[in-house]
Amino acid sequence: MITATALTRRFGDLIAVDRLDLDVPQGEVFGFLGPNGAGKTTTIRMLAALIAPSGGSATIAGQTLGKDNREVRRRVGVLTETPGLYKRLSAWDNLMLFARLYGVDRPERNVEKYLRLFELWDRRDGLAGTFSKGMRQKLALARALLHEPDVLFLDEPTAGLDPEAAKTVRDLIESLRSDARTIFLCTHNLDEADRLCDRIALFKTRLLKVGDPQSLKEEMYGRRTVVHLAQPKPGIEQELNLPFVTKTEWVDGRLVVSLSNPDTENPILVRKLVELGADVQFVSELRVSLEDLYLDLMEGKHATT
Amino acid sequence: MQRLRVLLIKEWRESLRNKMVLFGVVALPLVFVGIAVFMLKAGTTEPDPTAQIVLFNTSLLYFMILPAIIPLAIAVYSIVGEKEQTTLEPLLATPITDTELFLAKALASVIPAVVVNWAGFGLFLLATRIVIGGFLLQTLTAPWLVSIFGLSPLLAFFSVGVTMLVSSRASDARAAYQFSSLAILPGLVPLIIYSSMKTLVDMRLILLEGALLLVAGAVVLRFAIRLFKREQILTRWK
Repeated sequence: MITATALTRRFGDLIAVDRLDLDVPQGEVFGFLGPNGAGKTTTIRMLAALIAPSGGSATIAGQTLGKDNREVRRRVGVLTETPGLYKRLSAWDNLMLFARLYGVDRPERNVEKYLRLFELWDRRDGLAGTFSKGMRQKLALARALLHEPDVLFLDEPTAGLDPEAAKTVRDLIESLRSDARTIFLCTHNLDEADRLCDRIALFKTRLLKVGDPQSLKEEMYGRRTVVHLAQPKPGIEQELNLPFVTKTEWVDGRLVVSLSNPDTENPILVRKLVELGADVQFVSELRVSLEDLYLDLMEGKHATT
Repeated sequence: MQRLRVLLIKEWRESLRNKMVLFGVVALPLVFVGIAVFMLKAGTTEPDPTAQIVLFNTSLLYFMILPAIIPLAIAVYSIVGEKEQTTLEPLLATPITDTELFLAKALASVIPAVVVNWAGFGLFLLATRIVIGGFLLQTLTAPWLVSIFGLSPLLAFFSVGVTMLVSSRASDARAAYQFSSLAILPGLVPLIIYSSMKTLVDMRLILLEGALLLVAGAVVLRFAIRLFKREQILTRWK
């Protein structure tokens, strides 16, 4: 649904996006993560045919960027970083304006559908300027969906929202997954990306890593089991001699064992430790957060693509 | 055309709900009419009716300046307002073309300016007839009518063209507004000529100014449309 090859954007001497390669299939929720100034918004603007790339090429929903820009814009929905609503117009008028600009066949029907879906129907005559942040964000999301786009670009959809409003927006995004719509999600919220995205890309001017969150964590850190012992037994790790154990270390009196498949290998590991005289209290999996992975990649601690 | 119409209606709806813009569009002509009628009334003490005719003619020149001033308020708001509300990006993300967007913004300013100017002119004539009497209206010659009904749309287009041209190049729309104010100068030309030469309005001068405005307006609009690109708007309008 979205493919980009060596997509590049320069502003004078500054390279904002450097040879970005992407392939996002239909129906995928794709997270695009990176720090401020990484070029995420520039990437969205290029892919939504708002600004032209300096180099490279891309196709969005089968339309070639630069050649069919109007068609690209017709097929994508964009939720910008700020809701960007006409504050002096009502919720209904805001949506009707965009439904007509997008050339929606029966604009009233779609406007009503999304106002109801986002629970704004009762406030349809209220001026957008009087809405809370969460309501504005929902209205902006409704606007991005009015013309039933194939691809939805969401730039920081929960930024600045209180936890309750952020959860509402996240639930809405989750509900869109069933529509087989491709969602390109820019976010700083790593927990949000971990929960919502099928795959994520870590990006800082250039693509650092791409993959599904769990595989990326496993690729970078492997899977690790933490063994809690009644009494630490330094040196026991030397006697393990198990072929699937790739690394062992003591952390805070606990034995951390790197292995490839804990589901089948943990029982063998525990049996061996008991045989060696260890009093195993319990074992758990050492979970690496997306934040650890993100920070390590941004600080250049791991090799990138 | 449908998108143009939709955007035009949106611009007017927003302007109608903006007290500052509404005040600028409606109050300015009313103030001009009030001042003009007050001056004419004060002039009735003059024994020589020629003095009243000169005053009447000078008052008519207001309606040559108004069409250049009124659209600035709307045009600048339609730019600054979009930036303040951060609505430009969602708008530019729609399939609307740059030309449609430009024309919608331009016409949203020009049409009310011309209509309000003509309405103000009608109000002025009515007030003059009621307060002073009908004899002054008989001095209203064809060149005046051509000038007010023919030149004012050209002046409005020229003024808006300059505003949009400057705005699409400037990084600050408010600064662009100040620079765009120079667009009222062509409206002042007849005032300067008639004041300095102490002559009555002349058809040749009107036609000459009309021709010059037509050419200048066409050039400005052509450049403005060429420079009014969404990428420029998105990355340069701050």
